[in-house]
Amino acid sequence: MISNDSMIKVEHITKRFGKKVAVDDVSLNLNRGEIVCLIGPSGSGKSTVLRCIDHLEKPEEGQVYIEGQLLDQKDKNYSMLRRKMGFVFQHFNLFPNMTVMGNLTVAQIQVLHRDEAEAREIALKYLRIVDLEEKQDEFPNKLSGGQKQRVAIARSLCMNPEIMLFDEPTSALDPEMVIEVLEVMRNLAREGMTMMVVTHEMGFAKTVANRVIFLEDGKIIEENDARSFFENPQTDRAKLFLSKVMY
Amino acid sequence: MFSAFDQIFTVANMQYLLRGALISLGIAAVSLLIGLIFGIIGASCKISKHAFLRAIGNFYVEVIRGTPMLLQIMIIFNVIPIIVTSFTGQAFRMNYYVIGIVAMSINSGAYTTELIRSGINGVDKGQWEACETLGLTHWQTMRLVVLPQAFKRIVPPVVSEFITLIKDSSLISTIGAIELMNSAKVLGATYYEYMSPYCLAAVFYLAMTLTISMFAKKLEGKLAESD
Repeated sequence: MISNDSMIKVEHITKRFGKKVAVDDVSLNLNRGEIVCLIGPSGSGKSTVLRCIDHLEKPEEGQVYIEGQLLDQKDKNYSMLRRKMGFVFQHFNLFPNMTVMGNLTVAQIQVLHRDEAEAREIALKYLRIVDLEEKQDEFPNKLSGGQKQRVAIARSLCMNPEIMLFDEPTSALDPEMVIEVLEVMRNLAREGMTMMVVTHEMGFAKTVANRVIFLEDGKIIEENDARSFFENPQTDRAKLFLSKVMY
Repeated sequence: MFSAFDQIFTVANMQYLLRGALISLGIAAVSLLIGLIFGIIGASCKISKHAFLRAIGNFYVEVIRGTPMLLQIMIIFNVIPIIVTSFTGQAFRMNYYVIGIVAMSINSGAYTTELIRSGINGVDKGQWEACETLGLTHWQTMRLVVLPQAFKRIVPPVVSEFITLIKDSSLISTIGAIELMNSAKVLGATYYEYMSPYCLAAVFYLAMTLTISMFAKKLEGKLAESD
């Protein structure tokens, strides 16, 4: 399933917010079909790494390559490359002024120039996948947190991304809604989607991820396949972290 | 105090005040609409990427909000004829109502600039980011996602701006426009008794402002429904 062609290659990126160095010389690689979890304590810079990959934050130093092509704002391929990535936010960021169907079709129509009938059909397909077909005419404020996040995932999938980036997708959810979102993500992983997930859900990382990257203070401290990382962490900091989060 | 109330409180005089009230309402409404256009332009300047446009937007808002409206009316009342005369070489007198509308539009534009700007800035940054990740352009994001959400936040304060304009339109009585305030003054001068016409004018102002604020409350409730 996992091949050797690199979907994302990050080389020596650094990002500062004022004096604080949020990401400090981080390099990593994500191959097709691979699922990588970024974990670490709050403020470790894992979300910022993910946001730099999608250029929601522009790294000050270093490069990001998508399928071998440099992500560069000045390049004419820039928006096309960015569209290969779907991004799921902690706070969903659904458009409250549109119905669920509107949320799922607006970018398809505006960006991919699909006609409305086609866009709706594709939207319905992904709504079925996240099991929310019956909510298509609701406005987001009528949905639960878990439902909102599943709609947000479907919205991203409608754009046919090759990579899905998840930024703490379950952190803003009530505990009983976490599972339904993780289940959708697990199914995506099974389908062979290339995924990078910033998460605090260690159970998910342990069972779904192929590889885990542990960050602290903006640096990669440890990187290993998921099983080895959880069963036999190499660094003291990873051991300490795991001892605090695994119950 | 109300010595001439009986003589003043006649159908003809009430019609006279009503005419003044309608002129006040009309001037306020037209000024609000033109002010909204200025506000859209001003807000576009203030949120622009270009420092020069932002500076112009800031200058407009700060100068207008930092000086009295009465002064602005006086300046426009005096300056426009001078400018026109310097071009045409002929004496020029402009309609009082037009001067009033020009001054109040410019004034209202500065306030609505801020209302629109804060309405747009009040939309969550995450909405922009979501659009960015979906590939929508800046303008598509503005038109389809941000402005519809900002609109809801802008409508209630724009209605209160309308109420403010109705009250402030009394200021153009100073340049001779016969709106509600001046109509009351004229009645006072006619009957040598001012308290009755002023109190009646107050009733007319209140009838307008209370009706509008009642309408505004209903509208606010409606707009809040989908939040």
